[in-house]
Amino acid sequence: MTETQKEIMNSLMAELQRGELTPAQLCRGIADLIGQTNRTPQDILYLQARNTSPESQVVGMMQIQDGKRVACPSDPDDWPYQTVLDAVKDGWRIISFPNMSLLAVDEKEVYGLGFEFILER
Amino acid sequence: MQISERKTYDCKPTLTDSQVLEFCKTGYLMFEGVVPDGINRKTVEYCDQYPVPEPRGILQEDWFVENVIVNPIVAGALRSLLGADFHLPIKMANHRIDCPMTAEKEAQEFPVMSGVWHVDGNYRYTPALNFLQVFYYPQDTPLEMGPTQIVPGSHLIRNKGKFMFHLDGIRGAIPTAAPAGSIFITVYHIWHRRGPSTASGIRNLLKYFYWRTTPPQRDWITEPGFDFGSADYAGGPTGDYGYVELFRDVIKVAEMFLWLCGRHESFQNLGGQSWPLTADRNDMPYGFPTGLPRPESADV
Repeated sequence: MTETQKEIMNSLMAELQRGELTPAQLCRGIADLIGQTNRTPQDILYLQARNTSPESQVVGMMQIQDGKRVACPSDPDDWPYQTVLDAVKDGWRIISFPNMSLLAVDEKEVYGLGFEFILER
Repeated sequence: MQISERKTYDCKPTLTDSQVLEFCKTGYLMFEGVVPDGINRKTVEYCDQYPVPEPRGILQEDWFVENVIVNPIVAGALRSLLGADFHLPIKMANHRIDCPMTAEKEAQEFPVMSGVWHVDGNYRYTPALNFLQVFYYPQDTPLEMGPTQIVPGSHLIRNKGKFMFHLDGIRGAIPTAAPAGSIFITVYHIWHRRGPSTASGIRNLLKYFYWRTTPPQRDWITEPGFDFGSADYAGGPTGDYGYVELFRDVIKVAEMFLWLCGRHESFQNLGGQSWPLTADRNDMPYGFPTGLPRPESADV
């Protein structure tokens, strides 16, 4: 039971002890408890691509699923997505696009790994 | 004088122009199985006896210095890259792990997380090569024992260690799985991490550091036909995998190579299709630095 679920339960118990718990309040409390049970952690996917296009090849990836980092296959051909668009087609939503402010960085230097998209579902 | 009392070392360089240029592209060199089996066993015994993160006493052991620190094959490469009388290591680290290394053990035993991609602290992004980090596996280190992974060419890409913790799979990364007695040399700021391990057992990985004491010059094995004008400065994973803006890796490799040749003041990039971009040209490349040697056979 999560802290939120404990709070909901304690609130229901208090209303019950006061004799104020109505059927409608009980139903809403149960619905809230179930809603909390069905809640799952946000899955996150970092994809580093060759360029700013979602169609470009992925050169790096890291995935967090159910609150844990997923082991990444050592062979890039076995990665679940070869492009950012592949991931979008599989239900991932892009929440961060490559930061164009990097254009302001020294033109002679190169920084970081590719162009990073962050996705969630 | 005992060899362990030496501060610097000199020997004949063993790398050629092409090999030095290749090192500029990839940032690493691997020498498999170059340390004799008896020395590997003795090293493992020493590490078992002193299972500490910094077994610096091993640098006082002549058998170790002679066969590992100034290993004849590796020292020739170090001499090629760091010049005459390069300085010997004065610090020894052992990245010793009890495989398999789980995420929980990692968090407990390695709070700095050597299992994530990183560049070592106090890095300096520069075309100069004044020091090298070197790794030695005294025991067989197959994939199952979590050999270090590196990203060839990543020494050309700027990064900060704490900006890399979210990286995982990287296209072009390679494991340094190797038999006992293998030594590999890298540019200090190459991206690397400990690989995942699945087997059981102790894995030692000794890591140490050499540095330059003399100005750079092209005193390795020169190739009579080597042509600075048409040499291929492109290639390597940064090019193949498109991590960086087009041709930026070529420029950086050429600058590093010229620095090693002691000709850094000659380096220039005039832009466009100028030298050092690789091309099949019918004349001297636009922007070719004055004074760089060209073989007599080169078309000019």
